[in-house]
Amino acid sequence: RVSSDGKPTKFQPPPKPVIVSKQKQRDERRFLSPEFIPPRGRTDPLKYYMERKDMIQRRKVFNIPEFYVGSILAVTTADPYANDKVNRFVGICIQRGGKGLGATFILRNVIEDQGVEICYELYSPRIQAIEVLKLEKRLDDNLMYLRDALPEYSTFDMNMKPVSLSDHEEVPVNKLQVRMKPKPWSKRWERPKFNIKGIKFELPEEKMKAAQKWSKPWLEFDMMREYDTSKIEEKIWKEVSEALRK
Amino acid sequence: MRLTAAVTISHGRVHRNLGLGPRSRLDLLRNLVTALVRHERIEAPWARADEMQGYAERLIEYAKLGDRDERAMRMANFWLTEKDLIHKLFKVLAPRYQPHPGSYTRLLHIPNRNEIDRAKMAVIELKGNPFPPLIHPRRDTEKTLLNQLLKGYREDLQQAA
Repeated sequence: RVSSDGKPTKFQPPPKPVIVSKQKQRDERRFLSPEFIPPRGRTDPLKYYMERKDMIQRRKVFNIPEFYVGSILAVTTADPYANDKVNRFVGICIQRGGKGLGATFILRNVIEDQGVEICYELYSPRIQAIEVLKLEKRLDDNLMYLRDALPEYSTFDMNMKPVSLSDHEEVPVNKLQVRMKPKPWSKRWERPKFNIKGIKFELPEEKMKAAQKWSKPWLEFDMMREYDTSKIEEKIWKEVSEALRK
Repeated sequence: MRLTAAVTISHGRVHRNLGLGPRSRLDLLRNLVTALVRHERIEAPWARADEMQGYAERLIEYAKLGDRDERAMRMANFWLTEKDLIHKLFKVLAPRYQPHPGSYTRLLHIPNRNEIDRAKMAVIELKGNPFPPLIHPRRDTEKTLLNQLLKGYREDLQQAA
């Protein structure tokens, strides 16, 4: 090929493609599942180390996605009595409990006007797939008050399509304030012991003031009750991410 | 027959029941912490001093964060009832313990109180206080047989080298 000058053109290599490694993006948004963090106590750390090894081994075979209380999940378990031998349940995660291999999460949904809550174990071999349909956080760590809220806040379509999150750094916090059924409730959610921010209380002022009688303002200054997990989390995060990378 | 087993078996509960209730317990410990920061060495019943040791050390850890920190200032404001001690905590005690990573207090036993209750007493002091030390750690004398033999062995090594 000859250019206008008459000399052969120099070979221009194509521009290099910009590769944004997914590893880096995942590392920037660190999420350590809460069941890895050992509780405060006098047990031997060897026990937690052994449990962590088993948890990592299970995670290598089966993918447990990142999710929070308030995200909507679809879980398929093996069920010997179902037609297809699998059972799929969709619901909102209202609580994550337990530490180590016994970690559980409760999914709630309202099916044909009946509220249903199922408690699944994260590391149970019966679970065949966990899919996050909508990843989001709520204002509280524990959404047990949805039992006393209007059923519209707990209904989710069984054939809901997954809502994909763009690669943001932050998980969206849904600041929804839930409206409740008339009292009596299963627990007195207006009391300061529960410290709930996600309910729109429509109670009269005297009732809210009477509930503040049970407040314990000294509790936030009780230094011995604080459990600082930042250093422990760092160590465990390094251990877990290295083991999962192999 | 033990009816309330739940009350008597502690199963990992770490806080002692002092005073009239949880608020009263914190007020008692708060007074003791204030006295410790003021006088740097106090005598108290052993149980109260033991509870107080944890709170005093955590208060100093908070103070190490600096007085610009909002949380540290709120904690110091709650725990020190005499407000001139907040200045002492942040300006004197925090720099004193900045190089140390851990224990800032010392808890030692004392003969029982001379009152009718004969309570088990303890003295709790902040390390690095200006008073004369309570215990003199005595080093081994050179005159014991074992130390003389070791001294002879060391001298032999030096001569051989």
